[in-house]
Amino acid sequence: MRSFAIALFGLLALSSCEKEISINVPPVASELVVEASINQAIPTLNYVFINRTIDYFNPQLNLNGLNDAEVYITEGSIQGTDTLYSGTRWKFSLLSDSLLPGVYANLTFTGKENTPYKLDISMPDGKKVSGTTFIGKPPVIDSMQYWFQIEGKDTNSFFWMQWFDGPEQNNYRMAIYNNVDSLLLGWGAAQRFYTFDDELINNAMRPFRSLRPYSYGDTLNIYLSSIGRREYLFWESFGSAANNGGPFATPIAVKSNISGAIGSFTGYAIERKRIVLRYPK
Amino acid sequence: MKQRDSLIYLIVWIFLSFLPNSAQSQTRYSVSGYVKDSTTGETLIGAAVRIANSNRGAVTNSYGFFSLNLNENENELHISYLGYDSKTIKFKPGKEIRLNISLSPVGLKGREVVITGERSDKNIRSTEMSRIELSGEKIKQLPVIFGEPDVLKAITLLPGIKSGGEASTGFYVRGGGPDQNLILMDEAVVYNPSHLFGFLSVFNSDAVKNIDIIKGGMPANYGGRLSSILNVNMREGNNQQYKTSGGVGLISSRLTFEGPLQKGKSSFLVSGRRTYIDVLAKPFIPSRLSGNSYYFYDMNVKGNVILGEKDRLFISGYFGRDILNFQSPQNKDVFFDFGWGNSTATLRWNHVFSPKLFSNTSLIFNRYDLFNDFTFGTNGFNVRSSVQDWNLKSDFTWFPRENHQVKFGLNYTYHTFQPGILSGSLGSTSINQAINKQFAHEYAAYILDEWQVNQRLIINAGLRLVAFQLVGPYTQAVFDNETQLATGESKVYKPGETIAFYPRLEPRLSGTYLLNSESSIKGSFTQTYQFLHLATTSGAQFPLDLWVPSSARVKPQLAYQYALGYFRNFKQDAYESSVEVYYKPMYNQIEFRPGAQLFFNQNLENEMVFGEGLSYGAEFFLRKKAGDLTGWVGYTWSRTTRQFDALNNGQPYFFRYDRTHDISLLLAYQINPKWSANFVFVFGTGNAVTLPVGRYTYRFGVNPQEQRPEFAIVDVYGKVNDYRLPAYHRADISFTYLAKKTEKWESSWNFSIYNVYNRANPYFIYFYPDIEKQEVKAFMVYLFPILPSVQWNFKF
Repeated sequence: MRSFAIALFGLLALSSCEKEISINVPPVASELVVEASINQAIPTLNYVFINRTIDYFNPQLNLNGLNDAEVYITEGSIQGTDTLYSGTRWKFSLLSDSLLPGVYANLTFTGKENTPYKLDISMPDGKKVSGTTFIGKPPVIDSMQYWFQIEGKDTNSFFWMQWFDGPEQNNYRMAIYNNVDSLLLGWGAAQRFYTFDDELINNAMRPFRSLRPYSYGDTLNIYLSSIGRREYLFWESFGSAANNGGPFATPIAVKSNISGAIGSFTGYAIERKRIVLRYPK
Repeated sequence: MKQRDSLIYLIVWIFLSFLPNSAQSQTRYSVSGYVKDSTTGETLIGAAVRIANSNRGAVTNSYGFFSLNLNENENELHISYLGYDSKTIKFKPGKEIRLNISLSPVGLKGREVVITGERSDKNIRSTEMSRIELSGEKIKQLPVIFGEPDVLKAITLLPGIKSGGEASTGFYVRGGGPDQNLILMDEAVVYNPSHLFGFLSVFNSDAVKNIDIIKGGMPANYGGRLSSILNVNMREGNNQQYKTSGGVGLISSRLTFEGPLQKGKSSFLVSGRRTYIDVLAKPFIPSRLSGNSYYFYDMNVKGNVILGEKDRLFISGYFGRDILNFQSPQNKDVFFDFGWGNSTATLRWNHVFSPKLFSNTSLIFNRYDLFNDFTFGTNGFNVRSSVQDWNLKSDFTWFPRENHQVKFGLNYTYHTFQPGILSGSLGSTSINQAINKQFAHEYAAYILDEWQVNQRLIINAGLRLVAFQLVGPYTQAVFDNETQLATGESKVYKPGETIAFYPRLEPRLSGTYLLNSESSIKGSFTQTYQFLHLATTSGAQFPLDLWVPSSARVKPQLAYQYALGYFRNFKQDAYESSVEVYYKPMYNQIEFRPGAQLFFNQNLENEMVFGEGLSYGAEFFLRKKAGDLTGWVGYTWSRTTRQFDALNNGQPYFFRYDRTHDISLLLAYQINPKWSANFVFVFGTGNAVTLPVGRYTYRFGVNPQEQRPEFAIVDVYGKVNDYRLPAYHRADISFTYLAKKTEKWESSWNFSIYNVYNRANPYFIYFYPDIEKQEVKAFMVYLFPILPSVQWNFKF
């Protein structure tokens, strides 16, 4: 559908024009927004980011985080068909009220594979947010390769990789961080994001091929994660909501997996690979 | 209305209408026949045949046939048709009289200027309301964009019919969606009437004889959609002489060849059209984009043969394709080929059993399909989807008495839905998946009687029995509502086994009460069901949109429509005017959840939500039919809402194409024998759209090099369709110059200026949050500024 939309936009671009207009939209009732992320491998990706919705034309275009929340993450266990959240409880504290408002973390926290977790947030006005997630088993990247294509003065680079998708129902989120420094400081530092489930490919090798090129010499840090089904539905809807525009834009609401706020609590079982897109010396 | 009530209504109707009346004893003989164009032999649809010195008459049907019962003392008929010289025929009364009447186009007998047209009062006398006809020739004279005359753009100039916008051939009739219009080309259903992503329709104006649209008071011989029926009748071909005609426009050209197979008895027509944007643009496209192209083509073929006095055979077909080839400028390994189109074939047999009984039997095939081939490197996959029908129908028209015209018929359609087949390979993994095909039978039987009760009152009552049966083979997977995953359970239906069955009755009633010779009051009630639904989330009709059948979960759509109108003619029928009000509640309406994934979704029904709709309004129409200056002005005031429990917190909201005020003005002026001019002005309240009212930041991160936070901005939407785009208005003008007209050669130029005063009409609005400047800006995109175009038409 996206390729189709690109082609159509190209066609429209031949004749369309635009002009700036002023629009009055009514004020919106503010809601809490929570992005909670935990994993088993990378401490900088364990954090909770809290902010609020604001009026659309509010000129404030920064993080807009909320600093006075009480944030806890509790480890759980699975006993038969029940999940109990009675394990270790970590308090996530505000990192910096001025540089990174609304970002809470605990550097001692490390997620465990095959473990459930519970999120609890209390706001100063008494509002509560809660949610659960599960860190599963990380996928195993089977193989990777890359190649080059000369385009005028540029050398475009592409890569390909594959991993095995088991017979069970699997969901994945992948982030690609193009940086010589591999440490990802929050998921938003990555440049490209993808979500997959196993609707089309199940119990088989699952390939991924970059369609848009990278530059010669780029260093790609690939974060491939297994996530839960509700988390997948959230990130898939988030992808649509965050890339929604043009004449065929439709109002999209994200599919939250937490209560009391918009957003998600996602447990990532991360597999990380790094490739440098240049000829071997 | 309950089904039992409908049956009682039918029985009472039959009993009442066939009671003896005073006129019966006077009936002596019948007159029937065809009305044709004298130069081409083409039959004329909707020609008025009136008994002299009487207020009785008939109108030729879709095949140009009429039948009348005359009294002993009646022996003269007056025949008239728009753009043709009227004719009066006298004959000797007999038992059964067959007439083949030829009318000559005005201007043929030495007069070059069309100063007279049809002066008929059929608009006030017929029971039909909310029905308008346009000829193919008329459509070609209207101002056009890119020099392309377009049927669907033309009908949106009529009151009560709203355009989906400049980039859409979708039209909206009395509050209904574009999928609620049944679009027929020579009786074959056209599922996607768009070329060029909706900018143009699939109907080649050279091959179109006439169109008529029924937007309310739908008689019982039509059904299948809630809102309207658009009949596009293709030309039959000249059965007198070989003719070639065509046109050259800015983006496409057309060529038509027609002639007799056996003079006066049979004819053929072949008409083709192709865009050449791809060819013209090729030298100007940078080499890195040279792999991209877009074009469409279509072809109409028609033949007909008069087998004898009583039999005629017609065969017609359409085949059209849009083709888009795309090669990524960034990655030459990435190819994308996309094509879609309609195919139709219609075989029709007209048989006149007797002057009182006319029949048409049709076998129709239609198919809409698309392919999408995506290749990247050694990987690739192909997607195919289609909807296909086989349709067999028989329609009968019976003229039992001079005050009755009865129509009855049967209709059967076999639908095959192929929502998606995906095959290909990704790396070492091959993919072969298909969303299950669905099969359905659709049945209809109808009867209607147009009964002239007395000199003032005419009633048209009908009943349509419809049934829809979704059958196996089908495997229905069970999905979990929360995870949207298959639970592993499924129900298997054997071939022919019923999955869902919906028998329904559709009563129809309309009537005309003549107040005097110049005015009448009309009223109508219709109940309609629709069993097929278009899966789309956008306002436009897209190639990727899917048609889905009613099922156990998806109930048939239902609409009632009540309409009342006052019709008045002035100055010996040179002017027509009407005021119609309507009230139309709709049930089991379908929308998709925001952000629904429609393509290749095994669980599409789970994305649907169900609700109700309501539309009401008043339409005013004034038309001048005769003189150098002709045209019409229409004004509609309307209100259309939808209410879905799952949308907008259950509160009613404006339908996207709710348009409070809608004005259309069309003027045609014959300046002199060589020059004519057309002027169009349209105005419409802006579309209702949903805009974001808030936003939040998400997907937090820190850019280590620049030491600043990174985040995405996500919009929050408020009430559905709570914002109005600016009003749409535009004026167009065209001049047609008849360069040469002899018996052997005719050529004309059409010069059009679209959007004369360069109005920036909204296409869509987008927002740009400028993080550097800390401000959010709104921009309106508009498509077409002032656009001149030229088109050359020829005929020899």
